[in-house]
Amino acid sequence: MKTIQPALRLSGTEAYNHTSDKRFLMIGERANVAGSPRFAKLVRAGDLEAAVEIVRQQVDNGANVIDICFDDGLIDGEQMMVHFLQLLQGEPDIAKVPFMVDSSKWEILEAGLKCLQGKGIVNSISLKEGDELFKERARHIMRYGAAVVVMAFDEDGQAATYEDKTRICERAYRILVDEVGFNPHDIIFDPNILTVATGIEEHNNYALDFINATRWIKENLPGAMVSGGVSNISFSFRGNNVVREAMHSAFLYHAGKAGMDMGIVNAGMLEVYDEIPKDLLERVEDVLLNKREDATERLLELAERFKGKGGKKIEEDLSWREDTVDKRLEHALLKGIDKFIDEDTEAALAKYGRPLKVIEGPLMDGMGVVGDLFGAGKMFLPQVVKSARVMKKAVAWLTPFMEEEKAENMAADVAALKAEDPGLTDEEARRRAERGRSAGRFLIATVKGDVHDIGKNIVGVVLSCNGFEVTDMGVMVPCEKILDKAAEIGADVIGLSGLITPSLDEMVHVAKEMERRGMKVPLLVGGATTSAAHTAIKIAEHYSGAVMHVLDASRSVPVTTSLLSAEQNEGFVRENREKQEKIRRSFAGGAKRETLTLEEARAAAPKIDWAGYEPPVPSFTGARVVDDQGLEELVEYIDWSPFFHAWELRGVWDREKKELRTKNAAGAEEAAKLYEEALGWIERIISDGRMKAKGVYGFYPANADGDDIIVWADDSRSEEATRFHTLRQQVKKDGGKPNAALSDWVAPVGRDFVGGFVVGIHGADEYAAELEAEHDPFGSIMVKAIADRFAEAFAELLHHRARVEWGYETEEELTQAQLIHENYRGIRPAPGYPAQPDHTEKPVLFELLGAESATEVVLTESCAMHPGAAVCGLYFSHPESHYFAISELQKDQVEDYARRKGMAVEDAERWLGHWLGYQA
Amino acid sequence: MPQLDRTEELKAALAERILVLDGAMGTTIRTYGLTEADARGERFKDSAKDLLNNGDILSLTRPDVIADIHRRFYEAGSDICETNTFSATSIAQSEFFMEDPRETGGRKDPEFFQQVIENPFLVDLAREMNLESSRICREVADRISEETGRPRYVAGAIGPLTVSLTNSPDAEDPAFRVVTFDQVLTAYKQQVEALIDGGCDILMIETVFDSLNAKAAAVAVQEVFDEREMRLPLILSAAVGRGGETMISAQKVEAFWNAFAHLKPLAVGLNCSLGPDLMRPFLEELSECATAHVSCYPNAGLPNPLAPTGFDLEPRHMEEFMEGFAREGLLNLAGGCCGNTPEHIAAIANGVARHKPRVLPVGG
Repeated sequence: MKTIQPALRLSGTEAYNHTSDKRFLMIGERANVAGSPRFAKLVRAGDLEAAVEIVRQQVDNGANVIDICFDDGLIDGEQMMVHFLQLLQGEPDIAKVPFMVDSSKWEILEAGLKCLQGKGIVNSISLKEGDELFKERARHIMRYGAAVVVMAFDEDGQAATYEDKTRICERAYRILVDEVGFNPHDIIFDPNILTVATGIEEHNNYALDFINATRWIKENLPGAMVSGGVSNISFSFRGNNVVREAMHSAFLYHAGKAGMDMGIVNAGMLEVYDEIPKDLLERVEDVLLNKREDATERLLELAERFKGKGGKKIEEDLSWREDTVDKRLEHALLKGIDKFIDEDTEAALAKYGRPLKVIEGPLMDGMGVVGDLFGAGKMFLPQVVKSARVMKKAVAWLTPFMEEEKAENMAADVAALKAEDPGLTDEEARRRAERGRSAGRFLIATVKGDVHDIGKNIVGVVLSCNGFEVTDMGVMVPCEKILDKAAEIGADVIGLSGLITPSLDEMVHVAKEMERRGMKVPLLVGGATTSAAHTAIKIAEHYSGAVMHVLDASRSVPVTTSLLSAEQNEGFVRENREKQEKIRRSFAGGAKRETLTLEEARAAAPKIDWAGYEPPVPSFTGARVVDDQGLEELVEYIDWSPFFHAWELRGVWDREKKELRTKNAAGAEEAAKLYEEALGWIERIISDGRMKAKGVYGFYPANADGDDIIVWADDSRSEEATRFHTLRQQVKKDGGKPNAALSDWVAPVGRDFVGGFVVGIHGADEYAAELEAEHDPFGSIMVKAIADRFAEAFAELLHHRARVEWGYETEEELTQAQLIHENYRGIRPAPGYPAQPDHTEKPVLFELLGAESATEVVLTESCAMHPGAAVCGLYFSHPESHYFAISELQKDQVEDYARRKGMAVEDAERWLGHWLGYQA
Repeated sequence: MPQLDRTEELKAALAERILVLDGAMGTTIRTYGLTEADARGERFKDSAKDLLNNGDILSLTRPDVIADIHRRFYEAGSDICETNTFSATSIAQSEFFMEDPRETGGRKDPEFFQQVIENPFLVDLAREMNLESSRICREVADRISEETGRPRYVAGAIGPLTVSLTNSPDAEDPAFRVVTFDQVLTAYKQQVEALIDGGCDILMIETVFDSLNAKAAAVAVQEVFDEREMRLPLILSAAVGRGGETMISAQKVEAFWNAFAHLKPLAVGLNCSLGPDLMRPFLEELSECATAHVSCYPNAGLPNPLAPTGFDLEPRHMEEFMEGFAREGLLNLAGGCCGNTPEHIAAIANGVARHKPRVLPVGG
């Protein structure tokens, strides 16, 4: 007669029978908000597609059962359990496995049971609330045909010791089997895996208690299974994956020998038992099996060695390589994988015959998906830029083939176009044929005098991802060249970028020129100092075509799309004009902030008791060159938040936790990845010597003279070497707050000093250009963003050094966090920034320091520093010195300032344009 | 009077021989040449939608035809006939009596089906259909039992519904379901109660396209049992496609068994969707793993509009296939689904009578 072995028999769409020939039953733990922060973040952010992928990965990695848990204060667990299980049901390769519905809330378990077509597991119930409720719930579970996890809890709480574990499990077993009629093979006990090596003596035997209880259950409660949450055991070694993985494996080895049938395990966090280093294994087993009193100390001691090590890496999944070539290209574009792009492009060419068909077919389709996901906020900028890299490489591979057949095809396309519309001129037909399926031609440049281009490059990449043909003219491009090029290529839109304030004037100039040339193409304006207000008030007025301000790269796509859409253009442009008109009206007629005359403002200057103050004296005067600052040392000084801002990931970087504090969890995750990549780039930059940091700094005897600062040739203070000119706040302050100027922090008489510095990072532009040539826009943006961070870090390091040399701060006084948050005495304001917005003070500083020859940082005609990754500034040491902002400058001060500087009032107004409180 | 639980009696019979189920209700009805007017009768003459394809309504409008079909199957050798209640739930009947919201730009969703399961007309109609169908079959069974001296049984048929709990009809929204588990459970519970009230001996959750629908039916059955403190034998039968998965929820045969083994059914089996030839490997698989009796009532081959029954296989073919299964020890209950007439059943009964029933495995 045939016999069927009694066993725990589960199912999804396929059966899983845990028969005696099976070894350990692996329960995937990562679809559990409590077990996987990543899963939790995705679910909270509503990115369930990615959450589903986590489940798929576990199934792929061989999990027999998937644990699903939404016990989280921010998630509606019942609703999400149903929704998620229904989603999983739609994934055939996931739905095949049995699910474990996991919650501490009965309602969620009940809701989950109603979504399981197969036989799943309910995790969990216990005797915590007494026999009656326990029985009722067990009956309910039985009616739905699920197995059940019973936690070793009773009315008195969690069972920690061997005695409590066995006593409670036996009691539960008797109720389930004898009274409820539960199939004993459907009962899974979880006798609580508790954390060891906590330093508390009572915890030392926890692992052994579990192992012994397991053995007892398997011997005394026939049919019942034993499970547990394995990662608990190693909780005291959080952050040390090598030790944790070893602990998990060793624990499973011993508990498995005692009869443990299954466990909630992260398969990616398991070391192979035999591959645990012998010394580590010995100490781990000493702890788990409670073999010696000093076991914990000895493991801790050894653990130091493995701290921060990554542990086992999840293996690269190459299953997508089996797919069709279209799917492979899409996958490569979506994931930003360029490893196989050449061979896949080749295969696509073989399939489609013509290179253009490959581009317009699978490649554009793939980028379309990327564009859609980015638009929907499901992909982040760094990912999109990586996609663009893959696209560029594919196109580069196809280019020679395209050149080859261009001529003949062109003739055919022109003929086809003319056949369609006989009224077309040859010229026009050829132009249209050249465009093919391009969504539009976008010309982009950073204006004359400005060297900043990270944001501009990002806009270019994002637009090209969305099917626009982007011509990027680079940085410091004169107006004529931009407009000539636009005419030459027939640009549909022109985009101007700039970071420093003088660029704003240059943009006005470009707008005027466009008007003069009778152009009609829309003008887009973007960059850090640009604003909707400035665009409306200063630029739009000079050009009768559409002028749009674009806040960031992600906005550039909808704006451009609307502008080029026949249906939307009119309404969109009208709306924009109305908005700008409104801004202009409110600027002209709006409530102005009350201002003071220059005289009144000076009278309201901060009152500093110079008589009772002795300024610190620096250890040297004159300039010191730092010819080759080590980059390693700069890494510690990096303030990462602006780095993420460059990638349009908003938030504050937490140095300790190495995570971006932001409301957008998925964004934080992307930031974490980006951070890791940035560190990789930094490592390569350093090891390959791709960048060089040069700086100069110095101290000079100085005294205030009204709103000027006299810099003396030497400490005799008789001969004036040069003069810094500062500007004073003219907005009327509440509550007697002073109206500051930078000169206020320098003593008018006595032995005071000011300092100054210039730092620059060289090599980034060349490196970026190389990467660009290799079709790697991601790398190009990355190295520029890193160079910017290095420059800021260098400035910070130098300021740190300067304060020590100035004698008012000691070397180790402040932590990195304090440094980043500027919790120190003294400031380093830069000309062109809010405390002194006039860029023309830079040449004064440069000359004083001999900065151009010392650092090879040069100033452009707009007084931008070149290379762009450069920082300069003045040092002030007074304890009350602080950063402030100038605004609403009045004519009386500008006239006074121009006189002090010996420049024409109109010039002063031009340089200060943005900061003026009146129409110049 | 509480229903008699005839499980032991059935088990004793199953130990002796292969019991014979009936043939197709739907395709046999078609041979009577009924018209729309027959289906409507006086009672539903003003109904807005056509009712000819609503076979279950004939229990109310042409009970003579339904009784005649039962009689012919019992006389052909069926030990068990199924009630004419395949679609006798408020949810399935809504197809015939409610306006389809999709026609007015709406969609079928839980809101719509909440109205359905609370609609007094549909609820009463479904109850009446089940009650009457169960009674009709009961009467015929009792009469023939008496005439032949061989016990005949009535299986209350619980069909698969026209909606799915595992699938979304909206590709854009894979988590969407038109109906909730609780709604399906409610509708099935009403059906189960009325079937029992009409006097059936067995409950048969059959033609399972969607295992989660079937699970709701199974929960409904158990809830009614618990509320009434009674038990009746249960048969489950899945409709699998060519790959051996339930047609809608794609569950493989052994997975299906694992999901329903806790019910300790009298039998588990396969029916509909395939002819006996294509069903064979899955029957073998089920016979391998199931600790319950195994039933099998395939279609008479594949649909063939040129054949008199609309299906490929004639009685002698079915006899040959089913006898083959019996010879190999795969069967405890045998019958036919779509395309099987009383003549087919007579042939099948004849064929399987020559062989011993499948021996149940132990353990599990």
